[in-house]
Amino acid sequence: MVDALRTQRWLRAIVGSMALAAIVFHATAVVVTEGQTALVTRFGRPVRATTRAGLHWKLPWPIDSAIFLDMRRRVYETGLTEMLTRDKKNVIARTFVVWRVGDPLAFTQALGSEGAAGGKLDGLLANAAIGILGGHDLSALVSTNPADLQMDQIEAELLSSTSPVAMRSYGVAIEQIRLNRIALPEQNVNAVFEQMRAERRQFAARFQAEGEREASRIRSEAELEAARIRAKGAEEEARIRGESAAQVARTYADAHRTDPGLYRFTRSLESLDKLVTVSTSLILRTDSEPFSLLQSKDKP
Amino acid sequence: MRKLGLPSEVGRLAAPVVGLLDAAWQRMHWWIGAMAVLYLLSGITIVRSDEVAVILRWGRLVGDTPGLREHGPGLLFAFPRPVDRVVRVPVKHVYEVSVGTLASTDEEFTFDPVTQGYALTGDQNIVQVNMMARYRVRDAAEWSFYGPKADDILRAEVTAAMVRSLGEMGVDRVLADGRRELVATATRRVQAGLDAAHSGLEISSLELTQLAPPGALATDFDAVQSAFIGAETAKKEAQAFAETAIPAAQAVADTTVQTARADSAGAISKAKGDAEAFLALAKEYRANPAVVRERLYRDAVEKAIASAGGVRWIPPPIGGSYHGLRITIAPAGARAKSLSDPEGGDDRP
Repeated sequence: MVDALRTQRWLRAIVGSMALAAIVFHATAVVVTEGQTALVTRFGRPVRATTRAGLHWKLPWPIDSAIFLDMRRRVYETGLTEMLTRDKKNVIARTFVVWRVGDPLAFTQALGSEGAAGGKLDGLLANAAIGILGGHDLSALVSTNPADLQMDQIEAELLSSTSPVAMRSYGVAIEQIRLNRIALPEQNVNAVFEQMRAERRQFAARFQAEGEREASRIRSEAELEAARIRAKGAEEEARIRGESAAQVARTYADAHRTDPGLYRFTRSLESLDKLVTVSTSLILRTDSEPFSLLQSKDKP
Repeated sequence: MRKLGLPSEVGRLAAPVVGLLDAAWQRMHWWIGAMAVLYLLSGITIVRSDEVAVILRWGRLVGDTPGLREHGPGLLFAFPRPVDRVVRVPVKHVYEVSVGTLASTDEEFTFDPVTQGYALTGDQNIVQVNMMARYRVRDAAEWSFYGPKADDILRAEVTAAMVRSLGEMGVDRVLADGRRELVATATRRVQAGLDAAHSGLEISSLELTQLAPPGALATDFDAVQSAFIGAETAKKEAQAFAETAIPAAQAVADTTVQTARADSAGAISKAKGDAEAFLALAKEYRANPAVVRERLYRDAVEKAIASAGGVRWIPPPIGGSYHGLRITIAPAGARAKSLSDPEGGDDRP
């Protein structure tokens, strides 16, 4: 019974002190999570900002209170701004910034809520963009010649011209500015379309002409080659025929040389055979061979 | 009893609570004990296979480098809240975000940059591009606590990278063989941007779901395409012609040569035969010149008479000469009618 009573006393003491500790802790501890900043205010006036995550202390309410600010980086995209480049071309550009709270005190005092940051940045960025793009040609933004392009420089200029102001005036740290839209005013688009159309037509004509030229080159080369091959064949043919004619002549000559008289005789007989055809009319005297034979039989 | 207790006022205020506690302890002290143990163990977390976890102790990250901070899959021992907080991040999961800021909208007739998305190429042509970016978390702590919203930063960086990468290439390269290079350059720029924004993200792929000139110019671009195809076709046809013409010429040349060879062989063998025949005849002639000569002569004359179209016989001349003899030779078609007598042979009156 006494043991039970003692246990109960201990228990009461533990529970009581724990409850007390919890209340004190809750009132005085400021647990700053990573990505947050706690702004400690004394009677509503900001006294310090604790950017380091961890456990921090303050005096209990109502003397001190803590306001937590989100220190995450945020993306803000500006509206489209029309501007004039140095070579007097209208372009419409849009930028985006990556920013975070850089100076919690200044930020809270200047902007109060986080939603207001956008509006302030928009104006700041639009002015900077108009000023900086006015100092560059359009070819610094879009060009096929790498030497013309100055995007890195433009973005660096934008950053250097806005970030000190943003930090000083609003406590906003700008970490990155990029151009994420380069467009043309609507009335200029038609001119671009016309230019694109003309360029396409030119390309089509060029492809066609090139194709035809190439095709006719291939064809004429092939024809030339074919003619060359045929000529070579004809040459070979002439050579073969010439050689064989010579050999034929030699063969005949060798044979006929043995008896030229007989050759002349047989040759003239052959000629006779060749000359007399169906379209030949022979006129012979009745006293010539072989008709004379009949006559000689009849006459005597 | 009083000397050990609390001051009487506090004691009186605490009396109902104390009574409640005493009653609770007496009835279910096992339950209370079990719950206390459970609370002490509540910091132990299971990290799944696609996650890493980081521990926040009093809000502060435990570990100095990403390698020490991040705990892989398995059991993770941590203190219960409010001391420790375990944040699990699915780092292996690949997220998708569709970026349509430079793509065409339904309103085809306007080219107001506010409503219609497009980008300028290096040669100041207009193209429209629709993209799909896939990304995953690379640095769990940076992404969880300091990084911007993933979809926001991805959209902005992808658009900026694409605007810039398109701005340095000509439209023909963009639409043809430069597409892969375009994607590679843009991806590199996106990653550089994500790093500069301390996003803790990593782009795993950038895909162009659509890349085309504006719809109003589609026919002009198609015309170039078909001109190109037409040119290629013409070249192929010419090549096909060349591939048939040359072998055909070769065949003709070969035939010519072969015919010539065959003809020569024939001519030579005929000449040899004739020569042999002549030599044989000559041998015979030397033996009996008169008989052979006579036979040859007669054979030839008979053959000539037989093969001639018409033969006319005229008497021998009187006194050595013909006086007033007229011979009419009819044309080939009328040969049958021709007569030996000059007066009767004439059809004309």
